Amino acid sequence: MNTLEINNLRKEYVDHYTGETIPAIGEVTFSIGEGEFVSVLGPSGCGKTTVLNIVAGFIDHTAGDVLVHGKSVHGPGPDRGVVFQSHALFPWKTVLGNVTFGLRMKGVPRVERERAAADILELVGLSGFERKYPHELSGGMQQRLGLARVLVNEPEVMLMDEPFASIDAQTRRKLQQDLTEIFEKRRPTVFFVTHDIDEAVFLSDRVVVLSARPSTVAEIIDVDLPRPRTWRETVEDPRFREYTHHIEERLGGGEPDAQAG
Amino acid sequence: MTTMTPPAPTRAPARVPLLRRLGTVLLAHPIVRTLGPFVPFLLIWWAVAATGSVNAAFFAGPGEVWQSFTELVRKGMMPSYLGDSLERLAYGVGFGLLIGLPLGFVVALSSWARRLTWPLLLFFQAIADIAWLPILIVWFGFSLTSVTFVIVYTVVFPLMLGIVAGVDQVPRELVNAARSLGAGRLRVFFEVIVPGSLPAVASGVRTGLGYGWRALIAAEIIVGTSGIGFMMFDARRAGEVSQVFLGMIVLGVLWYALDALILAPFERATVERWGLVRQMEAAR
Amino acid sequence: MTTIDSPARTVGRVRRPGPRRGSEAVWFVVPFVLLVAIWWLVVEVTGTTARTFPQVTDVIAALAEMAASGDLARHLGASLQRMLIGAVLAVVTAIPFGIALGSSPRLSAFFSPLLRFSVALAGIAWIPIATLWLGYGDRAVIFIVWNAMFFALTYNTVLGVQQIPVQTVRAARSMGTRGPRIVWEVLLPGALPSIVTGLRIGLGYGWRGLVAAEIIATNAGLGYALFLAQSQFDTGVIIASMVIIGVLWLLMDRLLLAPLERRTVERWGMKAVS
Ligand SMILES: Nc1ncnc2c1ncn2[C@@H]1O[C@H](COP(=O)(O)OP(=O)(O)OP(=O)(O)O)[C@@H](O)[C@H]1O
Ligand SMILES: [Mg+2]
Repeated sequence: MNTLEINNLRKEYVDHYTGETIPAIGEVTFSIGEGEFVSVLGPSGCGKTTVLNIVAGFIDHTAGDVLVHGKSVHGPGPDRGVVFQSHALFPWKTVLGNVTFGLRMKGVPRVERERAAADILELVGLSGFERKYPHELSGGMQQRLGLARVLVNEPEVMLMDEPFASIDAQTRRKLQQDLTEIFEKRRPTVFFVTHDIDEAVFLSDRVVVLSARPSTVAEIIDVDLPRPRTWRETVEDPRFREYTHHIEERLGGGEPDAQAG
Repeated sequence: MTTMTPPAPTRAPARVPLLRRLGTVLLAHPIVRTLGPFVPFLLIWWAVAATGSVNAAFFAGPGEVWQSFTELVRKGMMPSYLGDSLERLAYGVGFGLLIGLPLGFVVALSSWARRLTWPLLLFFQAIADIAWLPILIVWFGFSLTSVTFVIVYTVVFPLMLGIVAGVDQVPRELVNAARSLGAGRLRVFFEVIVPGSLPAVASGVRTGLGYGWRALIAAEIIVGTSGIGFMMFDARRAGEVSQVFLGMIVLGVLWYALDALILAPFERATVERWGLVRQMEAAR
Repeated sequence: MTTIDSPARTVGRVRRPGPRRGSEAVWFVVPFVLLVAIWWLVVEVTGTTARTFPQVTDVIAALAEMAASGDLARHLGASLQRMLIGAVLAVVTAIPFGIALGSSPRLSAFFSPLLRFSVALAGIAWIPIATLWLGYGDRAVIFIVWNAMFFALTYNTVLGVQQIPVQTVRAARSMGTRGPRIVWEVLLPGALPSIVTGLRIGLGYGWRGLVAAEIIATNAGLGYALFLAQSQFDTGVIIASMVIIGVLWLLMDRLLLAPLERRTVERWGMKAVS
């Protein structure tokens, strides 16, 4: 059984000024298997965030199903961990407080909580920052913390909406590399939304390309690149270029912010 | 008339670098920084009084004020009036917080409560607290109850409005983040809504205290049985100018202490530590 | 000032203009209607006498009588006149003073403890001294209103000027702005969010100071009307005066402050204080 299944999902927004309905998602169907990394690409405004928010349980959908391990979702829950573009860290909690938040909600005892937190902080490279507050971290570190906070909770599926979009290009490369390593070590199930074609191909096992609004699935591409992946080796693989060119064409002429490796 | 120019402490001795450095260090000290500006002020006050150019019926110098201070302390009036004023303030603020905090969060979080009470809140906030005093006197007479009631009133409304503003400012994403990390409604309230709204709540408390403080003085003048406000007005009737001046200084020092010892540390410990929205610091 | 990341969407609900305006107006009135109904019912059922609390009709009658006898116009006129004079005096003295003080960082840093001290003391605590210096009457009340507003307004103007980014001033200078024009083109608009806050706070203190000073020190004005009614145990007039005081403040807020804020600070996207 797939970990996440999205079947015939539709969404219409209602404009509060005029009362008319705006179709955002035409009909979207795809699924993500256990331990699979799937990216969703599409033109700006096609409804990527909308799909992710529906899966996260933050907004309702108009029609269709969202199933996690075959059970349909209602509202947000710890089985679907969200990494936000704007981090959404709790400013009044330390790094440790943010990481252990989910475990506290589950009622995990303190000693265990802190051991798990130490492991995860080690993994994302934040050891030694336990007592700092989020505003004392750089943007890249804040996003590592956002990632750690979800990883430690061991959700069925991780949802990430352009988590690296507001981070400078160099740091972004580093974070992508780190995310790949973490993924290869722990094999979580990931639903990743991005604008960046290179990023999508580098990170993913499969890439879902959406059409313009109201969106449908235009194509699903299996990325057959060997793991473990590193930026240095992957960009030299001719298949990497083939994939990115193919997707660029699919999206109609390439995105301005897609970077050549 | 000889106007003395107060020695401006910012003018550090220029010749000796060591001395200048000492001066800079001294000036940076918080006590000097806080009390510094009062020095020229005191000197001017003293100078004006010393020239005798102002009618003594309207003006008292620092010496006379100090004298009446020691005298009132010796007679025991000062401690007892001060105690009365502080007790009233403590009761009023205590009850005000007790009522305002829960009510504020209910109004902030329940859309029905908000709809039904929001306009009323604005309206009751608009009725200047002092305006309640006459009807309170009709009900409770010239008593402690009347005074306390007014202070409670002045504290509750700014506090509630502050809480509503604070809750509205909590980023939606933080609530979403908490919920997708497994927090239930109650947990979201205590772990996200409460700390997230704290800066605005703190500023509501500060505003409320500022109003409550003024209401206390007015109520003491009008109800007139005891307290610093009463002392000042009584002195004014008796023509004891130095006691009027003294009253004002005591009130100022008291507020300053309240602000510096209780309100400011609380804000520093939370808001600034977290690097939260440091809203423009408005004087209240 | 703001360090929370993109607080674009918050827990607060979005206020929507347009078709919902009408229903919002209704929702503004409904609570008052309910309140009056409950008031009427409680007084009726418990049989409270007018000696303790007036019936709705008593208050309306008191209002009508005050209007007919000319008392209402007299008190209203006196209060509004004092408020206006005091407020205008405060604005024309405090803002220039605050800008002058604020444009010298050393001076403003040095004096701000003294200013904070004065803000805490401003207004009502000055009533005894004001009546001593200026006698009972208009002048003392105007002094109180001015005094209550002056320090809050000065302090917030200073803060506002201090918070203008250096680059903004430099940009204006490099485009050839000199001397007094810097004040008009940069300092004043830059400090405006804070000045508006100061005005809000100051007017609040001034309004309360006005009522208190009128209770204590005059023989006309809304505060005096309240005081007189209290000594006669005329609860109808007391409640009527309180309602007038509340309504006046709401009008002042809605018709003066809110439009000012909308046209300047909010329009420029600089709103900083709730
Ligand atoms: N709350 C809303 N009310 C009305 N329409 C909305 C709302 N949220 C999104 N939309 C519309 O739905 C469409 C999809 O929005 P969404 O944010 O999901 O796009 P996106 O693919 O994430 O865009 P981007 O790549 O820019 O992040 C857009 O056309 C947008 O205008
Ligand atoms: Mg998006």
